[in-house]
Amino acid sequence: MATAEIPYQETVPLHHPKTWIGKYVFSQDHKVIAVQYGITAMAVGLVALFLSDLMRIQIAFPEFMDWFVEDYYYQSITMHGMIMVIYLLTAFLLGAFGNFTVPLMCGARDMVFPFVNMLSYWVYLLSVIILLLAYIPGLGGPTGAGWTLYPPQTITEGTPGADWGITTMLASLAVFIVAFTMGGLNYITTILQARTRGMSLMRLPLTVWGIFVATFLGLLAFPALFVSAIMMILDLKIGTSFFMPAIVSLGQTLAYDGGQPLLFQHLFWFFGHPEVYIVALPAFGVVSDLISVHARKNIFGYRLMVWALVFIGILSFIVWAHHMFVAGMHPYFGFFFATTTLIIAVPTAIKVYNWILTLWKANIKLTVPMLYALSFVLTFIMGGITGLFLGNVIIDIPLSDTYFVVAHFHMVMGVSPILAIFGGIYHWYPKLTGRMLNDTLGKWHFWITFLGTYIIYFPMHYLGFIGVPRRYYENFDSSFYPASAQLLNEVITYTALVVGVAQLLYVINLVHSYFYGKPAGDNPWGANSLEWCTPETPPGHGNWGDRLPTVHRWAYDYNVPGSEKDFIPQTVPQGQTS
Amino acid sequence: MAEVGQQHPIKVYFLVWALLFVFSIASYLVDFFAFEGHLRWFLIVVFMLLKAGFIVAVFMHMKWERPTLITAILVPPLVLIVLMYLLAYEADYAWASRIVYFGDVVEPIPEPPPSHAAVPH
Amino acid sequence: MAEAAETDQGPLTTIVNDWSSDVTTFKAVPWGKAMMWIFLLSDTFIFTSFLVSYMAVRMTQTDAWPEPSEVFSLEAFGVPVPLLLIAIMTFILITSSGTMAMAVNMGYRKRKVAVFWLMFATALLGASFVGMQAFEWTKLIGDEGVRAWQNPMGAAQFGSFFFMITGFHGLHVSAGVVYLLIVAFRVLRGKYDNTSFEIVEITGLYWHFVDLVWVFIFAFFYLW
Repeated sequence: MATAEIPYQETVPLHHPKTWIGKYVFSQDHKVIAVQYGITAMAVGLVALFLSDLMRIQIAFPEFMDWFVEDYYYQSITMHGMIMVIYLLTAFLLGAFGNFTVPLMCGARDMVFPFVNMLSYWVYLLSVIILLLAYIPGLGGPTGAGWTLYPPQTITEGTPGADWGITTMLASLAVFIVAFTMGGLNYITTILQARTRGMSLMRLPLTVWGIFVATFLGLLAFPALFVSAIMMILDLKIGTSFFMPAIVSLGQTLAYDGGQPLLFQHLFWFFGHPEVYIVALPAFGVVSDLISVHARKNIFGYRLMVWALVFIGILSFIVWAHHMFVAGMHPYFGFFFATTTLIIAVPTAIKVYNWILTLWKANIKLTVPMLYALSFVLTFIMGGITGLFLGNVIIDIPLSDTYFVVAHFHMVMGVSPILAIFGGIYHWYPKLTGRMLNDTLGKWHFWITFLGTYIIYFPMHYLGFIGVPRRYYENFDSSFYPASAQLLNEVITYTALVVGVAQLLYVINLVHSYFYGKPAGDNPWGANSLEWCTPETPPGHGNWGDRLPTVHRWAYDYNVPGSEKDFIPQTVPQGQTS
Repeated sequence: MAEVGQQHPIKVYFLVWALLFVFSIASYLVDFFAFEGHLRWFLIVVFMLLKAGFIVAVFMHMKWERPTLITAILVPPLVLIVLMYLLAYEADYAWASRIVYFGDVVEPIPEPPPSHAAVPH
Repeated sequence: MAEAAETDQGPLTTIVNDWSSDVTTFKAVPWGKAMMWIFLLSDTFIFTSFLVSYMAVRMTQTDAWPEPSEVFSLEAFGVPVPLLLIAIMTFILITSSGTMAMAVNMGYRKRKVAVFWLMFATALLGASFVGMQAFEWTKLIGDEGVRAWQNPMGAAQFGSFFFMITGFHGLHVSAGVVYLLIVAFRVLRGKYDNTSFEIVEITGLYWHFVDLVWVFIFAFFYLW
């Protein structure tokens, strides 16, 4: 591929900060921004983890915490869901991994507009602060409407946080969307317009492809949430009736009239379903790379993997109402949305088969990142198959609002992306800091987390089948609630507590290894993609020294016959082996 | 990147400028002469799309961009047509339900008598 | 430009070649312009979500929906003319688009004084548009008694959607006026003399988009 085009980045000077604050606080360097995003997301994620453990204790041992009243339970559900989906997973996968990997893997010096990129982080931090404002005493606590925030109950009297909690939630979401847009425009423009010489899109590692498609989905899907947040704030604060029908609440006829509650659900899920893939696609990409690197074999069906990502992205915009089968929407919609939902299983299955075929007869190294990648595949298959159940209207209706649904979405978009994130962190930490993470601690952390999540979520399928409803504060002594369910709930809760505490191992590992970890060298895993070819480790400001690298091959030349090493980095010209 | 500019004869801009006025007046006249039904909708949408098309094509220089950018920008909004179509389809159903269950005009629900609120569940 | 050599290969081949090439996908498109286009794509989704919500609520509405051509009529020479103010606002916005397009054209000829005055005129027209919108709102609130939460002529959502959508569009116009003025003064001070004037085109893209949105609001809000 002969080209005469000179990357624009070689012709423009880079912003060089002079003060400590300019370098590490208000930094425009994509790597520092990635770390800021990552630390904030993990901190807020630990809050959400703590809330989930509180809820588990309440479910299994209702008498244990007297102070944990119904309102707290619903507020915890809402905050746990929203934080995990938006402020942890979206922010971590796109904000942290996106910022770190995109310029390095594309061979760019930085994002195209570093200043906007910096603003993106600070606005994200602002959105987190606004979200947590609701915990200030006297404001009535955060909203307890569930993370889907369905009107009318979200803003009617009696729902916890119906005045300030919901306001801060919606405001925080709107601010988050602004932050995401600033970051997302940067990722997209960098990937499309600022690659290095020889780096065609079809030579990009799949991580970048996953982040690219997910960011694109985000830019097109978040607007629907933005619009519904604005309309809901107006309904709440100045009494418009966009979503609010005529309604009698607590014996009072409210002033609302003529709104369309279903409209909110449509808008929310027009955002919400692509959001599932915003979280899943970067995880797919990261896992594809981890599997290929640590199995020392090229990814099977690279082009098919890319096209599968793109098709999943497109299809995700026309499946949204499968979340609404029992919402009372137009009865004909069930057929349409069940069909499109089942079609989306095809590209997803292609990806799973390709991972498995990559592992086939490979030289698998069971490093910690690889363990996480393999467990991702297992967990994702598990959650994906229950998705087929729920995608069919006729099976979905009895299973709606039971623990089956909880098990499904935690496996497919809760645990799986988290496992991919952990895998990615263990994989890239050496490049970020120059030191390896501790292997023993990492393996302990992995086995407790992986087995623990199975013990937590696998029995929930059974709970769902016997009809235990989700989002219930207490299950009382119902006739449909057998003793086995209570026993399972206790087992789940114990496991959840262990898994929750085990995350401390990971935090300790991150901090300890930063100071005392084994020095990593430039390329500890023997990986091919560009981030391992930087002249310094950790990469310096501007990443590449004087001259941008030139790419000659794709990122997956492992164990090529005739080469003395088992990997050939992307910068090695065709015909040479090292 | 010095040669990236979009330079075109000024005449084109004046022509489009004039055309936009013409289409605006035309869609205004649709309302003025009070056309009804499908004819009205057809004319309004046609004039709207013509105006939008000329703005995008000439003022925003889409006509002179490479097909790569054109398709990348103009194809993704097509998913919005699915959203619009399905919501319009459902709106008829919701409207019909309201007529069936609430009569043809939804009156505000009267204040329930005090005894009603006190009934234990 | 290499366009002449590529005209005979057909658009599909160009698309495939561009997407499979290295360094840039959108050939000869500066970063800022690519970013602005993608932002506008995202903004399209915001405005469409607004308009689709409006459609869904209006179509499910069982209360009477006011007749826009009567609500928005204006007395001229003692005769009520339907949609007169809206017609004037539309013409103003179209004219501002025209001056903006001229500014972009002058920018690529590096005639910066002409660019400044044309952009300044665009900003003035934009500001007058916002002013007329304020007048329209005042009239609707004061004379007709329409509020965001109620409407004496029928469905309350008429006022809600009107204020929300035109308000959001008005915010875009106001932001555009500020953006235009900043760029115009920078051009005059010679900030872009040594680089290209692509910033004028990028500003222009945003401004034309605002006009584009008005085309749809005009059709769906005032003519439906």
